[in-house]
Amino acid sequence: MKPLNLIAILLFVSGAVWALTRSERTVREIQRGYFAAISPFLKSGSQTEAYARSFLDEVQHSKVLEAELGAVRGELGRLHIIESRYRELERENDSLRHAVDFKKTTSFNVAAAQVIRRQPTTWWQTVEIDVGEERGIGTQLAVLSNDGLVGIIDRPAKDRSSVILLTDEACQVSAKVENSPEVGILSGQRGQFEGTPLLRLKFLSKNAALRAGQRVLTTGRGGIFQPNILLGTIVSVEKGAEDSEALVRPAVDFADLGTVFVVLSNDSPKK
Amino acid sequence: MTRYTLITVLLVLASFVVQQFLPALTALHHSRILLVQLVFLCAAVTVGQPAMLLLAFVCGFVWDAQCTLGAHGGDPEIYSQPVESLRFGYSILLYGAMGLLMQGIQPLFKQGKWYFSALLSGLAIFLYLAAEYLIITFVRGNFIFAKATALQMAYTSLLTMLFSPLVFWLLFGIASWCGHSINPEAGKKRRRHF
Repeated sequence: MKPLNLIAILLFVSGAVWALTRSERTVREIQRGYFAAISPFLKSGSQTEAYARSFLDEVQHSKVLEAELGAVRGELGRLHIIESRYRELERENDSLRHAVDFKKTTSFNVAAAQVIRRQPTTWWQTVEIDVGEERGIGTQLAVLSNDGLVGIIDRPAKDRSSVILLTDEACQVSAKVENSPEVGILSGQRGQFEGTPLLRLKFLSKNAALRAGQRVLTTGRGGIFQPNILLGTIVSVEKGAEDSEALVRPAVDFADLGTVFVVLSNDSPKK
Repeated sequence: MTRYTLITVLLVLASFVVQQFLPALTALHHSRILLVQLVFLCAAVTVGQPAMLLLAFVCGFVWDAQCTLGAHGGDPEIYSQPVESLRFGYSILLYGAMGLLMQGIQPLFKQGKWYFSALLSGLAIFLYLAAEYLIITFVRGNFIFAKATALQMAYTSLLTMLFSPLVFWLLFGIASWCGHSINPEAGKKRRRHF
């Protein structure tokens, strides 16, 4: 081996060991610096993703309309396009009304945010939202939608934040089952990118008397999530030798996340 | 040579920016084009080992800065079994291993057979993803390997590999601009023909 190659390998290994031994705080500082540097590009990237998504939606929409055009032809087809566009706006309007209503009926202080980027990394189930430290967002704040818990803030930047979704294995929530003494830890399952992901409620008692359809809510223990936030409903229960586990269908439709709310204070929610 | 190496480092950094514009394709099992990995792999075969290791360090460091998740936090009495995350810096070693794999067929590349390197880049990306997944499994326990995960890895590798000729074309252009030959034996052959 050439001496230069040997020196390069030694330097490379030293560099890798140095990186691997950085503390959590130093890693956060490195990440902060990186995201501050790349921030202008991230904004453009999010916009491109939003355009691409709306373009794909339109393509799909056109295909449906094309089938209808084949049947009714001409003028009727044109009316269908106008009607469908109108419905889309109506849905959007309903969604926004619903969102505003949510903000009014919750007792804790929340910051409304839009999802601007979905799954930016290969293996983690995360999204990015358009609020950050400028709006008082910090790490480990709960993120909700109208339907229930969405996830937890992982990495806030100046004007955006990364959210680990409830469907990710790394997002653990202390949970209880409604009308039952059972409590456990709810988390996502690995590799569930397709269809409706199911969550796993672990550490239930061995003879947990649970049935499908029972609601799962946060306990409020553990210092991160407020109590009584809806997480999902039980689908099935698996009895083990020492404890039981339940599969839970999340209350939130993660494929259709638009407006979300970051909980800024620790008051208990009403719902 | 130095100028070419510096430009490849800048190219790798530029690929991090472009990567922000490439979303996951939900219709194709959430696969995506891994441009950063592709640029690194293509560049790795065109430079010497020290430069490749420099590129691997830069790529791994910045990639981890982009992707590393923080600790869960919360009361350890309640969350007594936190899910382990990957340590910052693990990608540096993965990039290094991929780079060494690419350099294994550097003699073929130097003969002008760049298409072998293009094919190997797809394989290297598949191995990279598989290694990442295995590390996650090792750290977190419970071996779960769904068909969707395999398809995601396969489509990601295939999609990324399709863009490798474009990256090689770019690298040949940069090398020519720098007056540096990245496949000298092919150049000699061409001169012999004429």
